[in-house]
Amino acid sequence: MPREAFKLSQSPATEPAAKQVVDFRSGNEMAALAAKQINFHVMGYYPITPSTEVAENLDAMWVEGAHGIRMIPADGEHSAAGICYGASTGGGRVLNVTSSQGLLYSLEQLPVQSGTRFPMVLNVATRSVSGPLDIRGDHSDIYYALNAGWIVLLASDPQSVYDMNFIAVRIGEHPKVRLPVLVAYDGFFTSHQKRRVRLFDDPAAVRNFVGEPHFPYHALDPKRPLTIGPYMNDPDLINNKFQLHLAFEQARFALAAIFEEYGALSGRRYDLLEWYRMEDAEAALVLLNSAAETAKDVVDEMRSRGIKVGLLSPRVLRPFPHEGFRRALKNVRAVLIADRADSYGSGGGNLAHEVKSALKDDPDNRSVCLSRIYGLGGRDFYKEDAEAFFTEALEAAAKGKAIIPFAYHGVTSGTPGKVPAQVLPPLVEGDFPGGMAKVEQDEATGRLRVELRPFWKMTEVPSRIAPGHGACPGCGVFPALHQFFRVIEGNVVVLFQTGCAMVVTTGYPFSAHRITYLHNLFQNGAATLSGLVEMYHERVRRGELAGTENFTFVMVSGDGGMDIGMGSAIGAANRNHRMILIEYDNQGYMNTGAQLSYATPMGHKTSTSNVGPKAAGKMFHHKDTAQIFAATHIPYVFTAVEGYPEDLMKKAAKAQWYARREGMAYGKILSYCPLNWRSPDDLGASVLQAAVDSCFFPLYEVEKGKTVITYNPEMVDRRIPAAEFLAKMGKTRHLTQASAAEVLSAFEAEVDRRWKRLKAMHESPVL
Amino acid sequence: MQGNQKLPLADKCGFFEIRFESIGGLGAHLAGQIFAIAAVLKLGFNGAHFSSYGSEKKGSPIKSYVRLCPADRELRNSSPVERPDLVAVFHEALLRMPSTCAGLKPSGALILNTGKTWEQLASYPLPVPARVYAVDAIGIAVEEKSRVNTAMLGAAARALSFLNPDVLLEAIVEILGGKHPAAVDSNRRTFRRGFEEARLVWESQSAGPSSGDGVAARPAPVYGYLTAPPGGLIVNPGNTILNDLSASRQGFLPVFDPALCNHCGLCDLVCPDYCLVWGSASEPITRRLEGIDYQYCKGCLRCVDSCPTGALKKEREQDGFAQAHRTPLFPGKIGNRSGG
Repeated sequence: MPREAFKLSQSPATEPAAKQVVDFRSGNEMAALAAKQINFHVMGYYPITPSTEVAENLDAMWVEGAHGIRMIPADGEHSAAGICYGASTGGGRVLNVTSSQGLLYSLEQLPVQSGTRFPMVLNVATRSVSGPLDIRGDHSDIYYALNAGWIVLLASDPQSVYDMNFIAVRIGEHPKVRLPVLVAYDGFFTSHQKRRVRLFDDPAAVRNFVGEPHFPYHALDPKRPLTIGPYMNDPDLINNKFQLHLAFEQARFALAAIFEEYGALSGRRYDLLEWYRMEDAEAALVLLNSAAETAKDVVDEMRSRGIKVGLLSPRVLRPFPHEGFRRALKNVRAVLIADRADSYGSGGGNLAHEVKSALKDDPDNRSVCLSRIYGLGGRDFYKEDAEAFFTEALEAAAKGKAIIPFAYHGVTSGTPGKVPAQVLPPLVEGDFPGGMAKVEQDEATGRLRVELRPFWKMTEVPSRIAPGHGACPGCGVFPALHQFFRVIEGNVVVLFQTGCAMVVTTGYPFSAHRITYLHNLFQNGAATLSGLVEMYHERVRRGELAGTENFTFVMVSGDGGMDIGMGSAIGAANRNHRMILIEYDNQGYMNTGAQLSYATPMGHKTSTSNVGPKAAGKMFHHKDTAQIFAATHIPYVFTAVEGYPEDLMKKAAKAQWYARREGMAYGKILSYCPLNWRSPDDLGASVLQAAVDSCFFPLYEVEKGKTVITYNPEMVDRRIPAAEFLAKMGKTRHLTQASAAEVLSAFEAEVDRRWKRLKAMHESPVL
Repeated sequence: MQGNQKLPLADKCGFFEIRFESIGGLGAHLAGQIFAIAAVLKLGFNGAHFSSYGSEKKGSPIKSYVRLCPADRELRNSSPVERPDLVAVFHEALLRMPSTCAGLKPSGALILNTGKTWEQLASYPLPVPARVYAVDAIGIAVEEKSRVNTAMLGAAARALSFLNPDVLLEAIVEILGGKHPAAVDSNRRTFRRGFEEARLVWESQSAGPSSGDGVAARPAPVYGYLTAPPGGLIVNPGNTILNDLSASRQGFLPVFDPALCNHCGLCDLVCPDYCLVWGSASEPITRRLEGIDYQYCKGCLRCVDSCPTGALKKEREQDGFAQAHRTPLFPGKIGNRSGG
């Protein structure tokens, strides 16, 4: 593509020192391109919308050999932060990327990183924090990080995402600073919007600017042993924190110099606080990031009509540019500070409080301050919103006071009388005919025997999930849940962890769940449901509930939830609560665009395990979650696929029997994902059958400690080679080519090893 | 570089804006990206491209936006396109919603994925812009084994005189060639056919305001802070039955022939959308499959794959068929999109 240099209207008089090319890129792509050029040593990450594309882009570049960053997909953001912390103590450059809950989940690691003074760079594509869960952009996540001791740089468009990453490396590693750095850009508005941008075309210029990594202390020097992270109480800790404070004061000066240097290199000059047409402004607006860019157009329009307004937008949130605000607002009559997150109960957003606090230190400042909360949960910010803010600020300027000092902008009261109305009557116990599976305990062996009614008879059971949900065509999760719940009797309460099935069934104000449903984030679903289980039994014990409700509690998770939520799930299993945990395993984080999960088998292509000269898909073997649960010695563990429905339904009936009487049951259900397995919508049954018949996914159960293979393809002459299963999916077709022979044989060997081990367990009376 | 090329319909701020209205899976996001890359990197405009985002699902509504301006002008606004100069509708089902074409300028152009004539489209709440083009993009895509997006780009090149179709095709070939080299030839044909088969079905004689000259409706909440139950509770669950998923189908649907059905129930075990309708019958098989509620059917055809008797067959969806042959699961509970 032709990539000719162009001149921005605000280009400096002097030509930038470094050669650049024009491209068309999003904020996430720009973060990845900067990372590639910086060539960080290590990246620990966990996918979360809307930041995930950074890792995806970097993985796609890595597999082609475009950079050498060692990318480590963590099992959750807390681990990702741990990986990064550990790596950063080793004397190299470290990158992480996250959003929203990911930032919150790793929050406790942030002060560890800063308090022990190891620089790294964390890009945050900002997003609203749960709950209810909202994937779109506001600033409620980064506001949690304001007290973490990290430098916070703000990037208002894709170009500045790129620029700020280079600057982040420099300021973090500055000898007088030595702090971790967070680069925040607006989720979706900036992370996903493609703009015309400029990229350095001169590797030497980039290398010269960021310099060689310099870590005066690190953990990998045998000649100089260090104790990193001592136990430090009073009276010492306050001095450690004062050092941190001093580093931030140094960072102010250091940043000014780095911005200057970067401006000369790139032609793009930044400041701690951007002033936009603030000369003689009577009213000003303070906004962060993309909304500030949108408001600049409004400033231009109002200025062209002779209205004296201006805009202030911090480029750095920590250290806070209080001196800049004092100077900029010296003669401004009214300023409206708009926050894309509230500090609930404090009467203003964090930015409003900090601007007011800065102004208080100037005894002569008379600016009227208005605080407004806007754009929560990604609500769009239009030019009209900026106009409304300026109108309010001008009114306050004219009156010399704030009529309404604090308010939410853009809320809706609702139409009186228009409240949610029942569409379907509740499904109650009497609606379920029951008896679709007859369960009997064999007195000799103690094992359960199940007899099923015919499939057509089961259509009498009303679906606990209503139609009209938004899953992709051909989604395998819903047939699996349908088969499972066909034989489940009586009252049921479900908990869905975050994932495809949660998102597509509960898009507000709609819910497909005709029985009581709750959601929690997927670090914590099992603990949450176990709490509800025990509340039920405790209320029965106290006589508050009759006990005849006889609830079956079912948790539904994806395989992603069994990565990040493994600890919580194992805890619930160890406590052996009377509940069922079913995992629909579609072999990846499909809700966020098909990143690898630990359940993804070796060699499978995902958006973070690409195929190219450096790798043929995922590089480590699939997690054996069923065996992990078997090791907790809960009463019942099973595997199933919807391609073998009788087997699945018998196991569902057994799971309920055990969950009602003895404790926890866990089931892993391999689940078809036509979109990301890259297979036709209608072939779920045959692909899943091939997964079983190739012995990649054996159907078995571990009942009271005894392993039984419930369907052995070898016994019925149906065993097929793994390659035959892999050939059915676009995500694995590369494995059937000669170039991937080594990976294929490693996969086959692992499948075979696990299958043989399982058969030995099946044959043993004690395993 | 053709950076001084004039944008013919740019607004008073100098922007030329485009909105692709689509369903996830039809490739509107990629189409917008290709269009914008061609305009920015090949024609030298300044520009932005972005889409409305939810989770990564096929079948849900999506809007893709392109904003262009002259090369020397700054582009800073990141809000959705509300007053487009061009709207391209990737799926006819979207035409039922007035919001689909909302805000289209009277001077603008509208591209519809339909084989219908202007008269046949009269039942939809369509604006009357300067020009309306129709192209049977789905028919082309089915025949060429590609997606509708490149056919729609072909039609866009037809509708926009400043956009050299060769340049757009070059961008398609480059972008698809990188990710899906096997798809290049079929998409090249799809694009050419989209360009050639786009029909001008309406051209305004006067330059006056049209019925479509309204401001686009911004997404508004169904309930407000005085009427929504606290904490985001949904107190009327099961209300997804009010949703209409017909637009998720991409050209095909299952057709049920009761004469061939043995009511085995296998189809019911594999349908992800719970849209098969069962009723009572006399002994020995006391349940019978009565039909399909196409309101929820996304056309995955898993039921067809499961059917041992051929009672469920895959057919190309004809206009009006689903409505005429639908067996309602919840009679009398349709058409209300407000959440109940």
